[in-house]
Amino acid sequence: MSSPKANLADLDTCAQEPIRIPGKIQPHGVLIALSGEDASIVHVSFNVSRLGLDGESVLGQRFDEAVPTLARQLQPLLDEVRGRQEDGPSRAIMIELTGTGGRFEASAHRCGDLLIVELEDARAGVATAGEPDPDLRAFVRRLQSTASLDHLCALATDEIRRMTGFDRVMVYRFDENWNGTVLGESRNDVLPSYLDLRFPASDIPAQARELYRISPIRIIPDAAYEPVPILPVLTPGTDKPLDLSFAALRSVSPVHIEYMHNMGTRSSMSISILQGDRLWGLISCHSREARRVLPQIRNACDFLAQIFALQVGALEQAASATHRMHLSSVQTKLLGFMAEEDSFVSGLLEHPAEFLEVAEASGGAIVVGDSIRLIGEAPSVSEVRDLADWLRREHKADLVATDSLARDRGLPATETSPAAGLLAMSISQVHTDYVMWFRPEVVQTVKWGGDPTKAVSAQDGSIRLHPRKSFEIWRETVRGQSLPWSRNIIETVRELRNAVVGIVLKRAEELASLTVELQRSNKELEAFSYSVSHDLRAPFRHIVGYSEMLRNQEGSRLSERGRRYIDTVIEAAFSAGTLVDNLLSFSQMGRATLNKRAVDLNMIVEDVIRRMAPDIGDRQIDWRIGRLGSVRVDPVMFKLAVENLISNAVKYTRGRDVAVIEIGRTDDQSESVIFVRDNGAGFDMRYVNKLFGVFQRLHRAEEFEGTGIGLANVRRILERHSGRVWAEGALDQGATFHMALPNQEAARNG
Amino acid sequence: MADLKPILLVEDSPNDLELTMTALEQSQIANPVVVARDGAEALDYLYRRGPFENRQDRDPAVILLDLKLPKIDGLEVLAKVKSDPALRSLPIVMLTSSREESDLVRSYQLGVNAFVVKPVGFEDFFKAIRELGVFWALLNEPPPGGGMLKP
Repeated sequence: MSSPKANLADLDTCAQEPIRIPGKIQPHGVLIALSGEDASIVHVSFNVSRLGLDGESVLGQRFDEAVPTLARQLQPLLDEVRGRQEDGPSRAIMIELTGTGGRFEASAHRCGDLLIVELEDARAGVATAGEPDPDLRAFVRRLQSTASLDHLCALATDEIRRMTGFDRVMVYRFDENWNGTVLGESRNDVLPSYLDLRFPASDIPAQARELYRISPIRIIPDAAYEPVPILPVLTPGTDKPLDLSFAALRSVSPVHIEYMHNMGTRSSMSISILQGDRLWGLISCHSREARRVLPQIRNACDFLAQIFALQVGALEQAASATHRMHLSSVQTKLLGFMAEEDSFVSGLLEHPAEFLEVAEASGGAIVVGDSIRLIGEAPSVSEVRDLADWLRREHKADLVATDSLARDRGLPATETSPAAGLLAMSISQVHTDYVMWFRPEVVQTVKWGGDPTKAVSAQDGSIRLHPRKSFEIWRETVRGQSLPWSRNIIETVRELRNAVVGIVLKRAEELASLTVELQRSNKELEAFSYSVSHDLRAPFRHIVGYSEMLRNQEGSRLSERGRRYIDTVIEAAFSAGTLVDNLLSFSQMGRATLNKRAVDLNMIVEDVIRRMAPDIGDRQIDWRIGRLGSVRVDPVMFKLAVENLISNAVKYTRGRDVAVIEIGRTDDQSESVIFVRDNGAGFDMRYVNKLFGVFQRLHRAEEFEGTGIGLANVRRILERHSGRVWAEGALDQGATFHMALPNQEAARNG
Repeated sequence: MADLKPILLVEDSPNDLELTMTALEQSQIANPVVVARDGAEALDYLYRRGPFENRQDRDPAVILLDLKLPKIDGLEVLAKVKSDPALRSLPIVMLTSSREESDLVRSYQLGVNAFVVKPVGFEDFFKAIRELGVFWALLNEPPPGGGMLKP
């Protein structure tokens, strides 16, 4: 079995073949080329004897002198063709030749300065026609009421099969890369189904496609034909071979004959379907046996095919418009999601279905800075990172669409990659951030009823050309390729990009103005607390100061009640002053910069306990301090947090004969946790949420003094360290406070 | 004890002035106390100009300087004194209501010898003043973040 590559090489030879100037015709008719000036005979096919003429001898003679009956009957057709501007065959007329008993369908066309006349044998029994009288009106009506391409194909193939009697009629469409797909089919049981089969572009080489584009119809009534040479080989005067581009009798490439043979078909006809100037596809007909379709029916088929083409064009435009509208609605939905979310990224991530649908992709990725988020069937994060690097390096466009990343990047195609095709949009001015969509290899999205995976059977070892082979070659051709990104999708994504960039820019502006706003209000706050620290604090100091002087100097002259009043004034002013101090330190905690370094926790704890000695007095406290190691924190702030927790523990165990205060550390994968546990008054877990709020107190002032800022400070300090704080407890059962620092902040003492 | 260096107290608030004077009195510090009510007056005293042109006493043992002052504020006075080679060696104690870190940092940058936040409680304040009189450094606050302390 030869490899697909070898096949490609063979077909390449076909591509080089002089298919327009084969110098031969098929034997089902006679060809005569006339000089345009004087209608002298310039070329004849060797089988001109069928007209009762001797080939060699008529060359150079005037047509009307050599074959007057024929010339007379052809006169109107020739006049018609002479007067025409465009190339291509004329209508067909019936010719009767008396004497020889010949009955022909004749058509003519211009070829440069020459007129080519083709006479196809139309004797009864020679040609097999289907229905000679198609009901075109009914067909057009049915065609126009059809809203799906599948149905359209079914109608057209059915009608053409009815008219021509072929065993199988297919609609074959080219994609952007000239690979072909069988879209629709009408057949009897004689030939197998090729529906959904794929063909590589090499199956119909460029020059053949060009011929199909300019000449609407081709026919091979019997692939087993003996070609008939044209005399002379070169046109006298120009010394060029006769151009048979528009000749219905043109002899075809042996490669094509071989292909037909391998397909098990002996006769074929194909009609070109154009959209504008582009070859959209073919209506391709085959029979297992020889089958001739005469020019009049062929012309009717061509007419039918043109109506089909118009209808397909209208349908595709409508479908494209509907498709575009659908994509737009998905895109609008996405924009709505993005506007609702804090960031456009989460808008996309939260709605993967719409994200994928907008580009009809099966996977995606969002690359913003170092963060990479994957959606659906996507390559790995590191592959996406490579991809983003490649885009940054190689592409300056806002939008990059490729149906083969492997080809573009010069990498070997991996069949299983979810990213055979890529559609990427940059979402920053400097092209560093991207939104990407992926499509898998097209082979994975295609199925063929004929089981494409089944290889050509063993006995086909010598067969080079066969639809199964074609499918294999096509598979090779599109290895590492995804379905192409349609214009609709690219346009939709382009609009999406404009909107996203708009959103991103607007967010950036909003953020910038918010920052300015924030800086201003921060400044105001600073000014406020500065003035509070001076102007509000001073009066409290003065009240306390003067009251104490009054008590010291005049206390003995006051009544018991008077002295109690003064004590209360002092106490109240003192606590107001302390409150101001605490508030200020709380506000400073949020603003001060962090100076992190490794700190020995046991040292901090010991220091705090030592400083608390006056408060502890002669109370009995059972300190249980574990090995705390070190943490990387701002020492001043963190010490304050530790101090707060320990002083709370000391305070709330006041009622215990023996207070037990345990300080320990439990680390896990992500956090280092330091806890302070006591056997004190505890708290009701129902109020745990209030514990860490500013001015939130769970005890009455006469039970336990305090300003309600201590734990708020602890929380703020932990937050400044990207950590967290929480508590557990029960009324009268003690409490445990936890401070957790993220692991990168922590370093166990080795 | 005429030879004793005075203490220069720069204070604009009459209440604080009275409280500080009372505290100094009760501390039984023998040094005379010279009072300036704003930064300008303090500098006039130190530079022996204006009303102090002919003063005969020695330069102060310590300057107790309030931070917020009319005309020329405490930080400016501090900056002026500490940048003058003739006056640089005079110990200055910032005696202030402010707990603002920025003031603290700025004062240490300018070379303050101690920074004392006036405590709310009078007992504490009294204690502070008394100790300042003997050795101002007892209650000084270290510069935040371990900043340098200029001699």
